[in-house]
Amino acid sequence: MPTPRIAFVCPRLAEGGVVGGAETLLRALAERVAAAGREVAFLTTCARDHVSWRNERPAGRQRIGGLEVLFFPVDEDRDTERFLRIQAVISRRCPVSDADEEAWLRNSVNSRALTDWLRERAAGFDWIVAGPYLFGLVQAAAQAAPDRTLLVPCLHDEGFAYTRAMRALFRSVAGCLFNTGPERRLAERLYGLPPESGAVVGLGLEPFEADPAAFARARGLAAPYVLYAGRREEGKGTPLLLDYLALFRQRTGEDVKLVLAGSGEVHPPAALKPHLLDAGFLPEAEKQAAMAGAAVFCHPSVNESLGIVVLESWLAGTPVLVRARCAVHLDQCRRSSGGLWFSAYPEFEEGLLSLLRRPDLRRALGDAGRAYVRREYAWPAVLGRFEDALSRFSGRRR
Amino acid sequence: MTEPSFQIGADAALAEQAMAEIRAAVARKQALGAYRDARIARAEQSNLAQLQDDEAFLRYYLECLRQAVFVDINDFEIRERRRLGSGLLVLAKRALWKILKFYTYRLWSQQNQVNGLLVTALEGLENRTRRRLDDLEKRLAELERETAAPCRPRE
Repeated sequence: MPTPRIAFVCPRLAEGGVVGGAETLLRALAERVAAAGREVAFLTTCARDHVSWRNERPAGRQRIGGLEVLFFPVDEDRDTERFLRIQAVISRRCPVSDADEEAWLRNSVNSRALTDWLRERAAGFDWIVAGPYLFGLVQAAAQAAPDRTLLVPCLHDEGFAYTRAMRALFRSVAGCLFNTGPERRLAERLYGLPPESGAVVGLGLEPFEADPAAFARARGLAAPYVLYAGRREEGKGTPLLLDYLALFRQRTGEDVKLVLAGSGEVHPPAALKPHLLDAGFLPEAEKQAAMAGAAVFCHPSVNESLGIVVLESWLAGTPVLVRARCAVHLDQCRRSSGGLWFSAYPEFEEGLLSLLRRPDLRRALGDAGRAYVRREYAWPAVLGRFEDALSRFSGRRR
Repeated sequence: MTEPSFQIGADAALAEQAMAEIRAAVARKQALGAYRDARIARAEQSNLAQLQDDEAFLRYYLECLRQAVFVDINDFEIRERRRLGSGLLVLAKRALWKILKFYTYRLWSQQNQVNGLLVTALEGLENRTRRRLDDLEKRLAELERETAAPCRPRE
């Protein structure tokens, strides 16, 4: 049997951990698929920064690790102002005209060089794996050969998901590779997709060992701490975590600190400031140590398609506390028994108190979470699901 | 088509069991009024999207709001960011606030009245809507029971 050629398409190449989950996922999957003996090309843009989308790298072909990466310039003639204006309306879930949707995609991140290259060579690839869903670039790449495109959407329940363009995209491709069951059910509900058009694959994670005392020792933390790692912004729910934790300290008198890792400004209530450690962006080893030493990892976001940091916390043996409104995190917690969830402050207070005062519960939840990730998100399991999906979609194509 | 090959672990009941205990503790404390706390209403400001689809949350939030409805004009700390002479400046600000506070009372009492009326109106609306919904659900259940009953042949 000939080795199939697979093209991965992603707006940026993940490097150094300063990127979103979708980019990390696509690069890691591409590397593993290549290492498993498949012929893989990774198509991406020359941009590094997700705000300016400036072409910072030289265009062309490079061998990076075990991956053949092709860099293409981002189109520089995009009307960013118009894009942002329409995007603001869409994100509020207000209806926009077809013309505005089209203008939104046209002025999104695009690379004519990449899509032209792909269109000319699409027949040479067995599969084109593209994502995440809300970029004009991914939309255009999917149009190059929809019958052999597999979308890795990293879909969230947000305004963009409700556009007609996204509905058309999801319905046009050969299949979707979802991260979790709830993400898949969301796509089925929004776009009327039949169950056979999607498969849950996810991202593999390597187990790690970290000294639980190392982070607290290095940072001079004498009290137990709650950790959050990721972008600090309203969409991720960090203001809620700051308000809740400040109130938790006042109401319960528990001396618990909050450690925030990642990027983005934070504006904590005055009462929390002396008990907040803003660690900023942490190198991988230090992040893992911070996770291993945390009493709880709290992820207050309601919109996730996988939640890599939650899985990493479980690998560190730390239980999580998540929002009940986040279908993905709730589902992960229920499946793994690796954490608790809250819908409003009283459940947060009671849940955190239980985790702080009952080390047996904390340990049992952390152990269950670790066993779940080692079982479901080990690379052999993920690659097995990926191969199954390819076989199934090949069968449908014939 | 089968679901993906995810398995539910042996400890799957552990989190559910812990959550059941947490919910029971919350219900117990709620009945005792432990969450009637103005600070909770303020902390829930980022969680108001819950109101869209959670009836229980609305009831809980209205209860918190009832505690937060009356404005406290003294709930802030007088500070000075400048290092030089900060003690004196704080004293001066405190004295100034004591003199001027009197002039805010009228505004303060009007604001409290408006807040109180708004919360009462919201609670009234909520109660009326809930009663109407309960009534409609009861009637619907009766109708469903009637239509589900087997037809008797006419004599």
